[in-house]
This record gives sequence, C-alpha cells and structure tokens, in this order.
Amino acid sequence: MKNIITIMMKEFTRFFTDKRMVIMTIMPAVLIYVVYSFMGSTLGSAFAPDEDHKPWAYAVNVPDTVSQMISDSGVSILSINDDEIAETKDRINAREVDLLMVFPENFGELIQTQLDGLADGSSHTRAAPNVEIYFNSMEPNSHQTYFVVTAILDVYKTSLAPMFDINRGIEDADLASSEDFMATMIATMMPMLLMIFLYSGCMGLALESITGEKERGTLATLLVSPLKRSELAAGKILSLVVLSFLSGSITAVATILSLPNLMGTDGDVLDVAIYSITDYILLACVILSVLMLMVAMLSIISAFAKTVKEAGQAATPLMIVVMLVGVSGMFGGGAQTDPLYYLIPLYGSVQSMSGIFALDYSPLNIAIACASTLAYAGLGGYVLTKMFNSEKVMFSK
Amino acid sequence: MKVILKTEGLCKTFKLSAKQQKLQNTKKKTITAVDNLNFEAYEGEIYGLLGPNGAGKTTTLRILATLIKADNGDALVDGSSVKNEPDTVRSKIGFLTSELKLEDFFTPNYLFDFFAKIHHIDPEVSKKRKEELFKKFGIDEFAEVKVANLSTGMKQKTSLVISIVHDPNIIIFDEPTNGLDVLTAKVVTDFLTELKAQGKTIIISTHIFSLVEKLCDRAGVIINGKMVVCDTLKNLTAEKPLEDVFFDLYAESAGVKV
Repeated sequence: MKNIITIMMKEFTRFFTDKRMVIMTIMPAVLIYVVYSFMGSTLGSAFAPDEDHKPWAYAVNVPDTVSQMISDSGVSILSINDDEIAETKDRINAREVDLLMVFPENFGELIQTQLDGLADGSSHTRAAPNVEIYFNSMEPNSHQTYFVVTAILDVYKTSLAPMFDINRGIEDADLASSEDFMATMIATMMPMLLMIFLYSGCMGLALESITGEKERGTLATLLVSPLKRSELAAGKILSLVVLSFLSGSITAVATILSLPNLMGTDGDVLDVAIYSITDYILLACVILSVLMLMVAMLSIISAFAKTVKEAGQAATPLMIVVMLVGVSGMFGGGAQTDPLYYLIPLYGSVQSMSGIFALDYSPLNIAIACASTLAYAGLGGYVLTKMFNSEKVMFSK
Repeated sequence: MKVILKTEGLCKTFKLSAKQQKLQNTKKKTITAVDNLNFEAYEGEIYGLLGPNGAGKTTTLRILATLIKADNGDALVDGSSVKNEPDTVRSKIGFLTSELKLEDFFTPNYLFDFFAKIHHIDPEVSKKRKEELFKKFGIDEFAEVKVANLSTGMKQKTSLVISIVHDPNIIIFDEPTNGLDVLTAKVVTDFLTELKAQGKTIIISTHIFSLVEKLCDRAGVIINGKMVVCDTLKNLTAEKPLEDVFFDLYAESAGVKV
C-alpha cells in the first residue's frame, strides 16, 4: 500500500507541478465554456426576430374581417393583385417581404357554402376552401409573422364553426413539475457529455503516464526497483482515476455553466440544486467506477503501444465506442429497469447516470452497475500487472 | 570465498521477425542470446563479463536484474532465485544500464527521495546518503536542476547514484563507462573500486579490455551466448595480455581469424 501511495504521489507531483499539463487539462473546460456561450449568443441572434421590425403581410383577396384581425395583432396588410403573386414570392425568397396570403376569390361565399353544408350534412362532398401562405423559414421575421398569421387564421376558423374548445380558461395545463423538466433536460445530455469528458481526460493522462514513460525508458527504471508489478499497476491506475476525475469534473462544470448560454435560457433550465446529496453520492460512485474501467482499458492500450502516437491511434476506436454508448443514454425513454443491462460494461454506467439525472432510478441497479464495473476494472488491473511482467510487451522494439 | 551470485544453465532465445531473418540471411525463427550460461561471482569481488557486441552480456545482466525471464535455467542472487523471487532479488541489487532512464521532468533531488521511498529507506538515512553521494559525484550543485537540463555525464552520474540509493550489496552495471568522457569515466571506475573496498560485489559487462584489466578480480568471456572461459584476471593474463587472449578465444569459438 505504501508503494502504491508513493507512485500516486509521484504522478500527482508530475501533473500538478507541470504548468503545461495543468493548462492542457483546464483548457478544454475554458474552450467549451467560451465556444458554447459564443454559439448560444450567435445562434440566438441569428434565429431571433428583430424586435424593431414591423411585420408586413401581402395579401390577395383577403376578407375585411380577417384583414382587421391580422392588423389588430400588429401585422400590416398590403393587398395586391393576382399578377403580383410570383414577384412577391421572389421578394419573400430575397427576404424583402415577410409573408404572402392568397385567399380564393369569393372566399366569403365559399365559407358560407361550407357552413350550409355542415348544417345539411353535405360538406364532406366538396373540398374546403384553401388559403395559401408563403413565408421564408430562414428569415426570423418572416417565420415569426407566419406563426402570428396562422394562429389568427386558426382562431378565425374556429370562430366560424365552433365544434369544441380545448383548455378554455385553464392556464396551467402542463402538470409536469419544473424539477421533472430540468431532470429530463439534464438526463438527456449529461451522461453522453460526461462519458466523453471522462474518457478524453483519461486518454491524454494515461497515454502520457504509461506509453510516455515506456517510450522514454523511465518505466523500465521503475521495473528494476523492488516494486511489485501489481503495486505499480494500482498506483498508476488510481492516480489516473483521481486526475481524470478532476479533469472530467472541471469540464463537466464548465459545460453545466455554459449550457444555459447555449440554450438561451438564462440559467433557468439547469438548476442542479434539484438533486439530493444521495443523488450526488450515487453519481460519484458511478463516475468513479466507470473511470476505473476507462483508465484500466486505456492503460492496457497504453502498455501495448510502443509510442504515444501509436497509443493515440489505438485509443480512438474505444473513444467512438464510449461516445456511442454515451449517446444510447439519450434514447429509450429513461433508464433501463432490467438489472441485466447494468452488467454491461460502460452501458450499465450510462444507464445509471441517466436514471440518477432523471431522478428515476433503482439503487439496486446502480449498485450492480458499480460493482460489475469495478470487477471489470479489477480484471483490467490484473491484465495490466501481467503486461508489466511481460518483457515482450515492455521491451519489444 | 562465499558465492553470492550463481547462474545455473541460463538460456535465452529471442524470436526473429521476418525482416530480421531477411537481414541476417537465415531461415531460423529464433536467435539464441544466452546459451547454457554458468558462472559464479564471489562476495566482495568485481566480476567482469567480457564479450563483443551481441554476445549476450546485456541479456544476461537483464535476466539477473529480473527485467526479462530466462527460457531455461535460474540464477541465485544472494540466495534468492531470479525466477521465483524477482521482487526480493530487485531489493538486493543495484542495476544500471543505459536503457534505464530518469524522468526528464524531475530533479535529482526528487528522484533520489522517490526511489528511497520505493526501497523503504528511513528518511534520515536516505537524507545522509543523498548528501554523501551527491557531494561525491558533484550532483549537489545540480540537485534542483531538472534531469532534462543536465549534461550527459551528470545524467549518468545521477542514474548511478539512484541505482544504489538503497546501498545494495550486489551491484550490476552494464557498460558503466559507455558514452562518458574520460573524467566522468574515472569518477565511475574509482567509485567501483571504492565499493569493492566496502565489501560490495560488483558485476560489470564491457567490451573494453583495459577496464577489465584495471578493475576486475575475475572475468568471464562470452561469445555467441556461451561462456568460453571464466577465471581470475591473474590466470587469464598469465601468458599474454587480455586483448590477445580474447582474440584467440574468439578465433577458436567463432571460427573467425581476427
């Protein structure tokens, strides 16, 4: 145990006293925060309608009643003739005009016929009058005008023949709690992001700590010391887990802080205070166990590789697997309930994270995931010990 | 005299890749690096393994240091088997070879303390020993300089000092003066003599005849992985200089006139 701690302390000294390594660990977090925030503000401004814009709708054959309703909502109406339709469409495409409505000629009479048909049961024998609306979805002002106009036309249509209303006078029809909403939002994204951040953090550190030392010949110096190979493997794995946890946590915190900016929600959505201490403890257990497994897998790859470059190439396919498993947490409508799924390496951990983030989990399943993941990591540690003992792996050129 | 190190029929073969087979113009899939090697080293002597490049000297020392395993045979280091008790063997020896490097990022001071901890040396003892050894080799002035910024000679001296951080009784040095300037080489050879005077057993491998003549009490000549002669320096050089003895042995063993 003493030797394991000595190895861990050396790894920590190597990391924390090397400004470059510390900066390289913090930099992804800073970049994620800056990029997400920048993307949020850029995308937000690109797709938000201009507040000072006065919307205009061009209309053909628009009935006075409809024209009045639309004008009352702040959208000015300009009546045009049939022969101007093509030119107006071009202007919409060129983002010069917001919207074009084309009503059938004698729209009022057609509506009346339709209403009479409803009364005598013959309305189904003829098609209802059609209103054509053209807009440009890539132009925020045009898109906004489209929403306003279609909403007004819906109201107008309902007022002509009221069959039934929905939620009249009820303001809070959505019974989902704000906690559920936040938890679902976080549960959808965070497992995947966490898996990627944890793996990325592990990758750089494991490659440097094992392949880097092997390539430079400094691992051989440790191998001629009286250290047991198992102590060396444990010291390396545990120190990498701690450092990767730190690296992954910094990146995850940066992501949580920047997501409101990205989503343009001003911090309302991702309120992490919805989780209890128990939730956080369980999450830490899941993260630490999956980190152990990731570090063990990456350490094996690193020990096999002859150069850091080779190790980097070999670790990339595993990165894709981790990403795909992480993405699986975004689908399926919540965490799996069958305990067998929690025995699957990586997948079980992602399901556990999804369950915890969604505030809908079985402690037994999480225990199964953590225990099995630790068992797989232990197996990885055993393999790494064997590899440190293998001259073919350690000294082949 | 007490036998402190003994090899018993050590054998080691390495696989040849297709590329190596082509280069060496052979269809053999393996190459024998060490072939049934037997020798003994006595307590308090300097024993030299002499041989040309590729003779199997370094492989033998790497087996003794438990870095690699013998295919057959065993070696007993102060009674511990390299095959069955590698951890114990490593705690009893100090091993230095050019392929063992120190981390560039750390200073000699940090590395000495680190390896002292690995060897479970009492901090007070370690501190005293560090002061002595650093002063002897002139490392004290560079104790806080990162290894990356040390000169080649200073790196070699630091490696040497760290290899004996635990004051081992058996010291195994592979080509101890390789790549060193004459001044640093002298510091190293003087130190080996000093260690011998302290009763330590030293095994060195080299292809430098003068080094063997100057330092060793006994020597073994290895050619193509086989021990062709093993005797005291006095007996080996009774009739002619070591260099001539070696060339005669080489011509006889390898069938090549030198």
